[in-house]
Amino acid sequence: MSAESASAVHKGQVDLLDFIDWSSVECLNQSTTHSLPNAIKQGYREDDGLHLESDADEQLLLYIPFTQVIKLYSIAVKGPEDEGPKTVKLWSNKEHMGFSNVNDFPPNDVAVLSPENLKGKPVLLKYVKFQNVRSLTIFIEDNQTESEITKVQKIQLYGSTVETTDMKGLKKIEDH
Amino acid sequence: MVLEATMICVDNSEWMRNGDYSPSRFQAQSDAVSLICGAKTQSNPENTVGVLTMAAKGVRVLATPTSDLGKILACMHGLEIGGQMNLAAGIQVAQLALKHRQNKKQQQRIIVFAGSPVKHEKKMLELIGRKLKKNSVALDIVNFGEEDEGKTEKLEALLAAVNNNDSSHMVHVPPGPNALSDVLISTPIFTGDGEGGSGFAAAAAAASAGGVSGYDFGVDPNLDPELALALRVSMEEERARQEAAAKKAAEDASKQEKGGGQHAISQDATMTENKTNDLDDESALLQQALAMSMDDPEVSHDVRDTDMSEAATDDPELALALQMSVADSAKDSASQTDVSKLLADQSFVSSVLASLPGVDPNDSSVKDLLASMQSQSDKNEEERPNEEEEK
Repeated sequence: MSAESASAVHKGQVDLLDFIDWSSVECLNQSTTHSLPNAIKQGYREDDGLHLESDADEQLLLYIPFTQVIKLYSIAVKGPEDEGPKTVKLWSNKEHMGFSNVNDFPPNDVAVLSPENLKGKPVLLKYVKFQNVRSLTIFIEDNQTESEITKVQKIQLYGSTVETTDMKGLKKIEDH
Repeated sequence: MVLEATMICVDNSEWMRNGDYSPSRFQAQSDAVSLICGAKTQSNPENTVGVLTMAAKGVRVLATPTSDLGKILACMHGLEIGGQMNLAAGIQVAQLALKHRQNKKQQQRIIVFAGSPVKHEKKMLELIGRKLKKNSVALDIVNFGEEDEGKTEKLEALLAAVNNNDSSHMVHVPPGPNALSDVLISTPIFTGDGEGGSGFAAAAAAASAGGVSGYDFGVDPNLDPELALALRVSMEEERARQEAAAKKAAEDASKQEKGGGQHAISQDATMTENKTNDLDDESALLQQALAMSMDDPEVSHDVRDTDMSEAATDDPELALALQMSVADSAKDSASQTDVSKLLADQSFVSSVLASLPGVDPNDSSVKDLLASMQSQSDKNEEERPNEEEEK
């Protein structure tokens, strides 16, 4: 975990909302009435009344694929003080994880959220581990008060896209 | 048309030897399994189905989720019956098999045939149910066979724990004359959460029950288009013929002294014949009622059918009188006008009378009758303008 930074959005880092591949987004153990779009979709996530809630127990497993390769810089999770998430584990480029294999692979990063974070302060991640991210798996292991249900109001991802190759430049080299 | 991977858990315990479902519980189960496989594969070609057994030597996966129907039917053959059913282990192994399905986009579903007593605790079943819900696996339970006390309760607890937004169902099939498969066809297990029934399910229902189906003639146009077309064409022809006959009957209302009774009978006979083609008795009755209200004069003749036929043979004058009274009471003013006009046509009537057996037009009683008829028709014509004026 890196030290705190003054501003949440570092220069060059953008909200990765536009690069999320919505057709393949999945969330396990979410309640049907309070589902994932409430936490990440534009407009829904700003509304604190709409939140993502867990169903059978307090754990949640989110799978967010991206339309292009991105670098992940920080993540901001907003939730209620008592039922908001505490331990959040992140994996990059692991498809279709289930609750049974969360312990099989060590996470690329772990974030333990403080009440400050739950108010919207982003958590900086190990940037070097998230240089080449096609999909992100977020596992919310428990919540602040060990309650039966975890609630998440907003999840925001900050990062940047990977530079794409300039095809014209490539051609010129071949001409030689 | 939901993309789904299904694991079917078959109960092959000792309790399946019982014959309270014909021919035996196990055989009924096998039929149901093959029907389910067919329905699933037909509703979406990319669906896969797998089978595992829960008893005998232990929980054993016979077929991992596959879209090959033949493989599944083959593995249902030669299954040995014995031992006790292990429901918890069966469901957990099914969950594992689904987890390793090839197409991760498929929804996960487990169908359990619970025919023998459930030996697990309710708490344990609830835990399993919650785990299934957490991993978004739907569960369908077919409760048949042994009616153990507590079994239904445990299964309902399991269903409540798994059920997420009504995607899981439980069906209770008591022993009886109906085959297990027939009962299952009408349940949400087959129709897939109220999608309206797949073509396969409807066709299977038509084939087996020969009763309620979505198709007019009990024949699925998909299965046998030529037969369905032929039936439809013959039905149309029959209807057209009937309509022509009805029109003819309306015009020749007065001719019905001789053959009206019979005609109405025959007309009704053909109508009822066609109605037996209808699958639902209630709709047949409804159609008859509609027909009656439409062809009122004809049917009112039919009502006095027996009277008329008897009268026609015995007493033509009485028949004529009845005919007139019927014509008078008929609500349809158009046909009434026709009838009255025809009756009023003296020459026409006398010619008809002459052709009747045993009637001498020169007979005084007949002449009197004719005279009264004339006045009667005049009165009718008088009444009608009054009615129309009132309107």
